[in-house]
Amino acid sequence: MKTKYMNPYLAGVLLGLVLLSAFYFSGRGLGASGAVKSVVVTAVETVASDHASNSEYYSKYTGEGKNPLNSWLVYEILGVIVGGFLSGALAGRLKLKVEHSPKITSNKRLMLAGIGGILFGFGSQLGRGCTSGSALTGMAVLSLAGFVTMMAIFGTAFALAYFFRRNWI
Amino acid sequence: MGPLIPQEIIAEGWNFFIAFVVGVGFGFVLEQAGFSSSRKLAGVFYGYDTVVLKVFFTAAVTGMLGLLYFSLFDWIDLNLVWVNPTFLWSAIIGGVIMGAGFIIGGFCPGTSVCALAIGKIDAMVFFGGIFIGVFLFGETYAIIKPLYMAEYLGNIKLSDVLGISQGALAFFVIIAALAMFYVAEIAEKKFPRKEY
Amino acid sequence: MLTLKRLTFILFGLGLVIAFVPENTTKPYKLSAENMLTEIQFGTEMVSPDELADWLINKDPSIQLIDVRTPKDYNQFHLENALNIPISQLLAEEWVDYVDQGIKMNIFYSNGTTLSHEAWMITRQLGYENNYVLQGGLNYWTETILNPTAPSLFSADDEIAKYEFRKGASQYFGGGGVKSSASQAKSKASKPKIKRKKKKKAPQGGC
Repeated sequence: MKTKYMNPYLAGVLLGLVLLSAFYFSGRGLGASGAVKSVVVTAVETVASDHASNSEYYSKYTGEGKNPLNSWLVYEILGVIVGGFLSGALAGRLKLKVEHSPKITSNKRLMLAGIGGILFGFGSQLGRGCTSGSALTGMAVLSLAGFVTMMAIFGTAFALAYFFRRNWI
Repeated sequence: MGPLIPQEIIAEGWNFFIAFVVGVGFGFVLEQAGFSSSRKLAGVFYGYDTVVLKVFFTAAVTGMLGLLYFSLFDWIDLNLVWVNPTFLWSAIIGGVIMGAGFIIGGFCPGTSVCALAIGKIDAMVFFGGIFIGVFLFGETYAIIKPLYMAEYLGNIKLSDVLGISQGALAFFVIIAALAMFYVAEIAEKKFPRKEY
Repeated sequence: MLTLKRLTFILFGLGLVIAFVPENTTKPYKLSAENMLTEIQFGTEMVSPDELADWLINKDPSIQLIDVRTPKDYNQFHLENALNIPISQLLAEEWVDYVDQGIKMNIFYSNGTTLSHEAWMITRQLGYENNYVLQGGLNYWTETILNPTAPSLFSADDEIAKYEFRKGASQYFGGGGVKSSASQAKSKASKPKIKRKKKKKAPQGGC
């Protein structure tokens, strides 16, 4: 079934307006990796709270009265799930499947996806944001970090593209 | 005059509701654009599908112009808008690692959430991977910290670094983006593509 | 339909405009002209020499005297513990945190009232709080505090009380011509409340 996507420029403008409204109402832009961090911190605190309070990284978010899950990004990500689902439902794209190039197996794709996720998880923490939080939001406010991160992400992906081409084309 | 919540024009309690609504808009638009498909996302690196480039840069430029025009009309106070701080080394190296994650995994965190919402199992695995990656970072934090904190330049803007006004920088970014769009259109005509 | 061509026109046009329009450097919390006029008419920004003397004698730590004259004048004579911010530097980067704050009561003074009042007007217009003007400046200060004129025998009670106070103050400040010590007049000057500067909430964000 041929699926119809929105005009990319129009989508870009709409996304920009969503971003703008985030700034206008909450004074901040979008993000995603931060929500994952909140969940990880909460999980670590629940399972091994001593470790959490001893660690310099986790202890920043834990402690008396602080609930890391009560963060802007967590609520935003919940919204993303709903929004994505609604759009998919409207467009008839809801389907449980592993999407992969016909040249590789489904399992290989899943393995690659997992590795990619781990890299992105680590990289987004080091880079203080992911494509939505640092690159997109950062560029909109003209931050140096936004541009640097954006160029590093896209530059690296382009540079490595040749080596992974079999997985996509 | 915005931003509304930091200036307490709307009560703080609304913030999470707004976050949710913004998220819904975010997810909806991403999915409508096709960002729920890893093959479409990776396409920009091979030329057959430049949707990422077009959407990303149009969005960034729209946001940029929106903020500057709002500021011009006194609808927003840019001093109260978060500008992410620059730690040069971590921004670069973090970006490199993320770039690798992008070309290998075919997603970024936001798009993976959008994709898993419509049932993409590879997106779920990717998203699970993010947790592991974050956890790894937390565990190795003590070792990584010097790199993480290096070269702190403050909440600096590129326009400050280049010594030009924000409006001028926006203009240059627009020119660069438009140039990339034209190249992208040519590339798409050259490389084969399918709707996924 | 949003084609690339149409997008080019729109973005190029918007970009060109925003590049050339001067950047908007509005400072929020600016004071409107009406508000300022009201304040001037009520004279709430004025501090009399008696009040100042009282606070100085009681070593009130929340006062900050600011001498807005030239460094030359300042070096020749200045009130104790006064800062020298020549009016030409009033808006300089290094003094912003002194004139735009919510912790102390700044009292501008100069030889007369003109210069100090100008300083007040400029900072008030920017919305800065807690700045005041020494009524009459150093000239009036010298006249009333350092060398107070004795009231006639038929003066009203409060005139005499004021004189007694000034006599004591004069001694404290090393003024001339008064030998007999007067009892320390009780602190009766009530201080205007220091307006806590509304902390502009630092932007939150991050990922």
